[in-house]
Amino acid sequence: MTVAAGALPYEEPGKVSSAVLAVLVHVLLALFLFFGVHWQNRQPEAVTVELWNSLPAPVVQRVEPKPQIKPEPKPEPKPEPKLELKPEPKPEPKPEPIVEKAIEPPKPDIALEKKKEIKKEVPKKAEPEPKKPKPKPKPEPKLNLDRTKDIRAQLERETAELNQQLEKDRILDQMRREAAMFAAKADAAYIAKLKGKIKSNIVLPPDIAGNPEAIFDVVQLPTGEVMSVRLRKSSGHKAYDAAVERAILKSSPLPRPDRPEQFQRGLEIKFRPLD
Amino acid sequence: MNVTQDLSILSLITNASVPVQLVMLLLLSVSFMSWLFIFRKLFAIRQAGIQTEKFERDFWSGSDMNGLYQSAVNDRHRAGSLERIFEAGFREFAKLRAQRGADPSIPVEGARRAMRATYQREMDNLERHLSFLASVGSVSPYVGLFGTVWGIMNSFRGLANVNSATLAHVAPGIAEALIATAIGLFAAIPAVVAYNRYAHDIDRLAIRFESFIEEFSNILQRQSGVGK
Repeated sequence: MTVAAGALPYEEPGKVSSAVLAVLVHVLLALFLFFGVHWQNRQPEAVTVELWNSLPAPVVQRVEPKPQIKPEPKPEPKPEPKLELKPEPKPEPKPEPIVEKAIEPPKPDIALEKKKEIKKEVPKKAEPEPKKPKPKPKPEPKLNLDRTKDIRAQLERETAELNQQLEKDRILDQMRREAAMFAAKADAAYIAKLKGKIKSNIVLPPDIAGNPEAIFDVVQLPTGEVMSVRLRKSSGHKAYDAAVERAILKSSPLPRPDRPEQFQRGLEIKFRPLD
Repeated sequence: MNVTQDLSILSLITNASVPVQLVMLLLLSVSFMSWLFIFRKLFAIRQAGIQTEKFERDFWSGSDMNGLYQSAVNDRHRAGSLERIFEAGFREFAKLRAQRGADPSIPVEGARRAMRATYQREMDNLERHLSFLASVGSVSPYVGLFGTVWGIMNSFRGLANVNSATLAHVAPGIAEALIATAIGLFAAIPAVVAYNRYAHDIDRLAIRFESFIEEFSNILQRQSGVGK
């Protein structure tokens, strides 16, 4: 009994709690890794946001070249004023003449003179608008309805102004569309620049028949370094394909676009030996 | 394979090759075991320290040795290491002194031997599982490295089939492989830290036990001299 006394079964404290704690440590680590660490997953979104922010700028800058377009839309408004004029004058002139005719009789001479002056002024004002004066001279000889005609002229002017505003809106719309087109053209310029640099590095193989087209997919870094080149459509001439591929790789880093938002990660470039 | 693909931990682990996944599993279980022992030893060593403190206070406060012995015998299950050492020594001393006529140094020597034996047993209990922590700390980085090397070998072999090698082709494979090293290090670092810390704590406890044994032997020797 006394000898065995020292050899008590040894029991460590806190077996259960330490197991729970060990599990807790690993669960915490796992949670941290899953939710705390985001490896580069969000980067592409940030890039697209920047692109959209910088797009409106070119639209504002290209306001000057647009006057050339104005002549084109002018023919369009012509039918419209006619359409609008017909409904509008009918309701408005009717109430007004009644009031004015009642006032007119007491001061005929002065009123007539004023009317004449106004008539003279009206064509002058109308002159800058090319198409409106033409219809006016015809009603003028009929005279006596004078006031209503003035009002009609005014209405015409107003509607013309309205139409002009509409035109302006339309022109602005067109400008925006054009700006997009312009961007595409600038893109073409960028592609041309790329092709120019690559072409200078192409060593043409001697025996090419015809002018076959080869299409390459190029992936580049923002610095212009070529990451990968893939032949999408072969020209049918293997030596030429290989020559172009070598030239693309040799052209790294590629020239960068004038405006950074034109940068594209993936490019599709077409080559023809005789270009 | 493009660069913007999902590189979350989960996809990296599920996309890894089977040997790498096995290595990860092994390391994960090893890590769990090592954390289990880290906490168990933490509680055990802390408790041993508290009990030693308490017994030393009781012993040096001049209380009756027979009373201490009785309390140690009565609740043996709650007794600390130092209390058990004291109990073994005192019991042996009392028994040997009962056999009259012998050399007075004999009971003291016998008590010291009994205390030594109990001390060794207690130390063995305290140091249990520490070697596991030491092995985890030294081996698991290598196991993780093995998984990484294997994964990188695979990703480079896959690269051989591609015409134009880019970083985008290799990067996901390497990232997958490196997860193994990360898990290995996660298992190893706490194990090494805990091992060093616990070894130091146990050393200090051992020194306290040994000095107690020496001091208690002196007291017994004085008592046997008085008894003679």
